[in-house]
Amino acid sequence: MVSKTKISIFLLVMMIGASACSAAPAVTEESATLAAPVTSVSTEAPVEAEVAGDLVIYSGRSEPLIQPVIDAFKAKYPNVEVLLKAGSNSELANALLEEQANPQADVFITTELFTVQSLAGQGIFQSYLPLGADQLPDEFLGADSMWTGLTRRARVIIYNKDLVSEDELPTSIFDLTDPKWKGQIAAAGSTNGSMQAQIAAMRQLLGEEETEAWLNGLIANEVTFFGGHTDVRKAVGAGEFKLGLVNHYYFHLQQAEGSNVGIIFPDQGEGQIGLLSNATAAAIVNSAPHTAAAQAFLDFLVSADGQKLFAEQNYEYPLLPGVALQADVQPLDGFRLADVNVVQAALDFDATFDLIEKVGLP
Amino acid sequence: MKALSISPRLAIAAGLVALFVAIPLVYIFIRAFGADTESWQRLLQTRIWKLLGNTLLLVVAVTSGTLVTGVSMAWLTERTDLPGRKIFRWMLVMPLAIPAYIGGIVYLALLRPRGGYIPQVLENIFGQSVFTPSPLGFFGAAFILTLFTYPYVYLLSGAAFRSLHASLEEAARTFGRTTFQTLFQVTLPALRPGLAAGALLVALDILAEYGTVALLRYETFSSAIFVQLSGRYDRSAASVLSGILVTLAILILWSELRLQGQARFTQMESNWRPAPLTLLGKWRFPAFLLVMGVISASLIIPVAVLVVWSIQAFLDSQSLTTIFHTGSQGFGSYVWNSLWSSGLAALIAVLFSLPVALLAVRYPNRFSRFISRFCQVGYAIPGVVIALSLVLFVNRTLPFLYATPFVIVIAYVLRHMPQAIRASESALNQLSPSLEEASRTLGRTSLQTLFQVTLPLILPGLLAGGSLVFITSLKELPATLLLRPPGFDTLAVRVWVWAGEGFYLQAAPAALLLVLISALPLSFLLRREKIFR
Repeated sequence: MVSKTKISIFLLVMMIGASACSAAPAVTEESATLAAPVTSVSTEAPVEAEVAGDLVIYSGRSEPLIQPVIDAFKAKYPNVEVLLKAGSNSELANALLEEQANPQADVFITTELFTVQSLAGQGIFQSYLPLGADQLPDEFLGADSMWTGLTRRARVIIYNKDLVSEDELPTSIFDLTDPKWKGQIAAAGSTNGSMQAQIAAMRQLLGEEETEAWLNGLIANEVTFFGGHTDVRKAVGAGEFKLGLVNHYYFHLQQAEGSNVGIIFPDQGEGQIGLLSNATAAAIVNSAPHTAAAQAFLDFLVSADGQKLFAEQNYEYPLLPGVALQADVQPLDGFRLADVNVVQAALDFDATFDLIEKVGLP
Repeated sequence: MKALSISPRLAIAAGLVALFVAIPLVYIFIRAFGADTESWQRLLQTRIWKLLGNTLLLVVAVTSGTLVTGVSMAWLTERTDLPGRKIFRWMLVMPLAIPAYIGGIVYLALLRPRGGYIPQVLENIFGQSVFTPSPLGFFGAAFILTLFTYPYVYLLSGAAFRSLHASLEEAARTFGRTTFQTLFQVTLPALRPGLAAGALLVALDILAEYGTVALLRYETFSSAIFVQLSGRYDRSAASVLSGILVTLAILILWSELRLQGQARFTQMESNWRPAPLTLLGKWRFPAFLLVMGVISASLIIPVAVLVVWSIQAFLDSQSLTTIFHTGSQGFGSYVWNSLWSSGLAALIAVLFSLPVALLAVRYPNRFSRFISRFCQVGYAIPGVVIALSLVLFVNRTLPFLYATPFVIVIAYVLRHMPQAIRASESALNQLSPSLEEASRTLGRTSLQTLFQVTLPLILPGLLAGGSLVFITSLKELPATLLLRPPGFDTLAVRVWVWAGEGFYLQAAPAALLLVLISALPLSFLLRREKIFR
């Protein structure tokens, strides 16, 4: 009898075993604090009932970063059921490419322009110029209105003021390879769209070799690479690291949580590459199942109400002229910006991925 | 009993199941070996060797850790006069209800260097930062995975300690060996086949593990595959890595199946009597503390933290709103999605396991054994790999199923069917074929016999198999994340997304519920075993 117990326990363990509780990584790009309850923006807006049905959104902006906008949109269009899938830009781009014959998504939102530009070149999107989008700067509209820019963000260095004194602050992203910061820096890893875009931009501005040397310098300097920037800002805020390479709004989000952090807009000196910046964008998928709802959503994103949400809740730079920046956000006009050709960078995106793989960026 | 010829219907049904199982495997190998040589070269030059080293190091460390923890806990609760051992037996198994990634989330929040609760409290008390062990990296991952996988080894060695023939040890003592010499020279070697099999299971588990290593920033094959999938617009690198990972896992699974086969013949049926308990004497208290330590770390602390967070979340109106309403999805829909997808997977897995098990048990020969073994290959295919192959396969061949929750259910069935097959085979093994033969002699057809005699009698065994599939599907993450259609969230997905954004309070109620829902079927399974009654 007892050996039967043994057999049956043996089998039980065998059966339970190897059923790995494996899980997936947080590959979401950008993340932010829990969005504050949606502001009054939506309630003032007239409720539009004529658009109805589902709206499927693939978003490279992480869930907490897009949900407030979706909530405001839903308040305006109560008959639209929004279904969201958030992930990394390239993960969702992969899905869109895979689904060409069998389209699932209506709207794709990315955190940089190279992915939308590259997909537009592959015929993934349909042309649509949202209402009022003609007011956006030209450089943030895709050719043939294949995509529409939403907001702008700058690549900055966040630092912990308790751990770094003013006089030793880095002034360039190249200072991050200085051995004096060894093991003290956090950044986002290779799956993060903003990081990929930074590398693509640097390849264009500086060439393959210098970019490769910079990446190898970061790795040699024992930079810790996270899946996303929320981890980076929290770790710098807590003092786990002295410096972090992030988008500018992560500094504001971390400061809003009460951390003693500072922000550096790097590479402003003579002969330096200038401040790297990028933009988020939205596009409507070719033969999207719910085009009307998708168009209404894009209209809302570039409207003053939508742009205000991005600016107020996430400290981003709205692209629509006349929408105010959140207090404390320094206007981009005051900085020397690096000039990157989006179309060319999108064409070179594959070479960027090869470089990322070659240096073994985590 | 005269040899029966195999029923063609049964063989066809089992063959179809095997075909179903073969899909992801074949697809991955085609993709991996069909990848252009450039992808192979790029990977061989850079990542593969480091990944291989990292992965094997973790596998070896966690396997050794679980062996030491599992065997020592089993010895203490089965062979000594440790106070409270009856309750400890239960508590030492319950960590199986806690997915390792949830344990990882708890320890990360507690111990994260400088940012964690404990380092911060210490800093406030002492006015300066105090060294605390970091849950990150290799050591953290090895520690946390050991905490939540040792129960496999514990269950196995506990049962083995109980059933081991007392006379072996008595003989050793008679020849002048001390208690500890006997333990190391006689008892443990006698347990070796079972322990090795348990160790290999842990090893398979660690190969497939994703959430914990991703969370704790330790890169293994599984995590690298996920990074590849979300990193660039081409899947050949992910396929190459998957091919290597699956090959590695199949090697381990193969040795496990061999050992499992041998282990059956190591039982000693006759003259069994319980071995006398070792009196711990002055070691009673330290031993008690040791067991308490393991239980605290693997069960009490994680559950307590989740309870505290859940209470905090319910007191905080903002968290509460988000928990109950994210977009168009409410908390109820996550729970319902988790329950129905895991439940359906359990049902299908049990149904599919029946022809395979019937064939293997009632008509044992090379062919049926091969089918049975082959259908257990799901053990060796990590969730992320199953998801990758299903995405590609379903979209191309079954587009109407693409982006529906049923693809997730298929992934659960593929990954967890081995549990159902083993449960069904074990139930059938305990049912004498003479009952079925009697039914046939009395004029019932084979189908009637199946439904009127066999199935009712093996039902408890089938339920056990179903419960296992249910528990493991409930906590499955990588396949769910990759395959879920927009708007389809499960408890596991919500825990992962919220915790990934650092919103521990919001994640806690879902995590706690996940643990509680897993604990129920787990206790049902344990109650079937004599020692837990």
